Amino acid sequence: MTLFLQYLAAGIASGSTFALVATGFVVIYRVTGVINFAQGVFAVLGGFLAYSLLHAGVAHGLAEGVAVLITAAIGLVVGLVALGRRGTPPLASLIVTLGLAIFSYAVVITVWGDLPISYDGLSGLLAIGGVSMQRQYVLIVGAAVVTFLALALFFGRTYLGMALTACSSDQRAARLMGIDVWRMGLLAFAVGGALGGLAGVLLTPLQPVQFDSDVGIAVNGFAAAIFGGLVRPVTAFAGGLVLGVAEAMVAGYYRSSYETAIALAVMLALMLWQASRRGPTEE
Amino acid sequence: MIGPRAPSRRALVVAVLAAATLALPPVLPPEWQSLYVFIGLYAIVTCGLSLLMGFAGQVSLGQAAFYAIGAYAAAIPAVHGAPPALGLLTGPVVAAAIAAAIGVPLLRLRGHYLAFGTLAFQLIVLTFIAEAGDLTGGDIGLRGIPPLGLGSLQAVTPVQYAYVTWLAVTAVFLVTRNVVRSRPGRALRALATSESAAAAAGVPVAAYKVEVFALSAGYAGLAGAIYAFFLSYIAPGSFPILLSIQFLVMAAVGGLGAVWGSLVGAAVVTLVVQLLQEIGSLPAMPTQVPAVLSYAVYALVLIVVMLLLPSGIVPALTARAARRRRDDVAPTEATAGDDARASRLSSVL
Repeated sequence: MTLFLQYLAAGIASGSTFALVATGFVVIYRVTGVINFAQGVFAVLGGFLAYSLLHAGVAHGLAEGVAVLITAAIGLVVGLVALGRRGTPPLASLIVTLGLAIFSYAVVITVWGDLPISYDGLSGLLAIGGVSMQRQYVLIVGAAVVTFLALALFFGRTYLGMALTACSSDQRAARLMGIDVWRMGLLAFAVGGALGGLAGVLLTPLQPVQFDSDVGIAVNGFAAAIFGGLVRPVTAFAGGLVLGVAEAMVAGYYRSSYETAIALAVMLALMLWQASRRGPTEE
Repeated sequence: MIGPRAPSRRALVVAVLAAATLALPPVLPPEWQSLYVFIGLYAIVTCGLSLLMGFAGQVSLGQAAFYAIGAYAAAIPAVHGAPPALGLLTGPVVAAAIAAAIGVPLLRLRGHYLAFGTLAFQLIVLTFIAEAGDLTGGDIGLRGIPPLGLGSLQAVTPVQYAYVTWLAVTAVFLVTRNVVRSRPGRALRALATSESAAAAAGVPVAAYKVEVFALSAGYAGLAGAIYAFFLSYIAPGSFPILLSIQFLVMAAVGGLGAVWGSLVGAAVVTLVVQLLQEIGSLPAMPTQVPAVLSYAVYALVLIVVMLLLPSGIVPALTARAARRRRDDVAPTEATAGDDARASRLSSVL
């Protein structure tokens, strides 16, 4: 039972980072209709930036915060390139984000080299009800929950957030209301960048990142996001947790080499089950 | 209808291309010969993907899975003593059969869901290959695959493989052209636009989607089979997710829904990557330069092409040619249709 709870804690922690990446996918897709395959890159860059800042002597907390701000700015740039001229079709934008992801490999290798890096997160163990877990897990889950609540407030209560929501529900109507849809798309990319960067700075102490770690992070995040149809943040968040827990259980009780495959198979089965309940004509 | 001068000019172009294709392998410098093989192999896979995405409107982010299945289905019997030429049959047939089997549930998913489903399928296939060590050689890979051949007739040199590959390219293109122009081809285009409308018009939507999925997987399987014999060594690492993405990029750069687009896309992307590797590995370059340069320039080419020609190279060229012809011949319905289709289909994802 203790073992089960430990796997559960680890799963929820890694699931929370998937959930953050997934939320980034959702925020960007809802507003712009673009699946941003550079989403994993934000996490990788966040990790590397925090690493450099920490080595330069910046205090913990501040370093991670600055790294997240920088990834938000990078998200803005990615959005600027990916959205392109008006009327660029989403498939073209998607390929452009893939191109930007590959471009980031060149940047990371030039600046930091091609070896994996890591840094210390919160050290020590925390015992809750007889289960000891790493403090970093608690930090990750806490940060994810707080971020998610803050996003909910932002989208539901602030003028800017409501403008973003308006763009995602009906672009033309939003434009008629005087909302600059293109600028909102850029803002969505910046939020997506910050979410990815946050996932990265939280994850790097647990598992080292290197220049091409973004593929794995993006696949997991995309799996979680697609669970909510790419438009529902709450389902995407839940999807991230399901995925994280499923992977931790497979790795714990069976074999870690199967963790991604089985977790994805479970997601796929759930999705097919959903599709079979919907009518065949629903788009 | 196509203008009166168009068919003869087209036939001439095709004839010149065919002659050049046949004449090229022996005169190429040795290091370009295997590149020539790879362009052909990638064109075959991309042609299937272009058919699936451009005509049937279905997305696959896991096409490299069928490339891998074809490679293993061809290599495993050959390693155990079966005549290697049989692999050219088992590769595509097994890949198509698996696609048909998984396609029935998988193609109930649409758009992004299908993209995820195919991506997940590839990761599952790769895990299976890595874990089924007795059959596949596991992570270490399958070594000692005999050269392609039947009896004493064997393909050993890159030039011979180039001919095998481009024969396969020709076959695949002919099949694709006929499929596209047939009644099922028109039905596929209809279902790409609206499945409900196609179903209402009597198109067996589910069956056609599975069939075109299986056909595209069969192409990938055929290319995978030739790849296995050509390199004589395959491992799960030869078929990463990035390869699937690269096929998607080739299809999009060449232009979805244009049969020739797959050839152009495969050639452009392969040549760019190769050129960069050569520049990067020149003497006096620091060790990290090859990687940095190839990633950076590959990315920039990709971004610039997609932003300037969002519907791909071939549709953009056909549209331009159609505009130029407008003086002597009235704008052709066929090319105008092509253009409209390409732009509509680029919103598939």
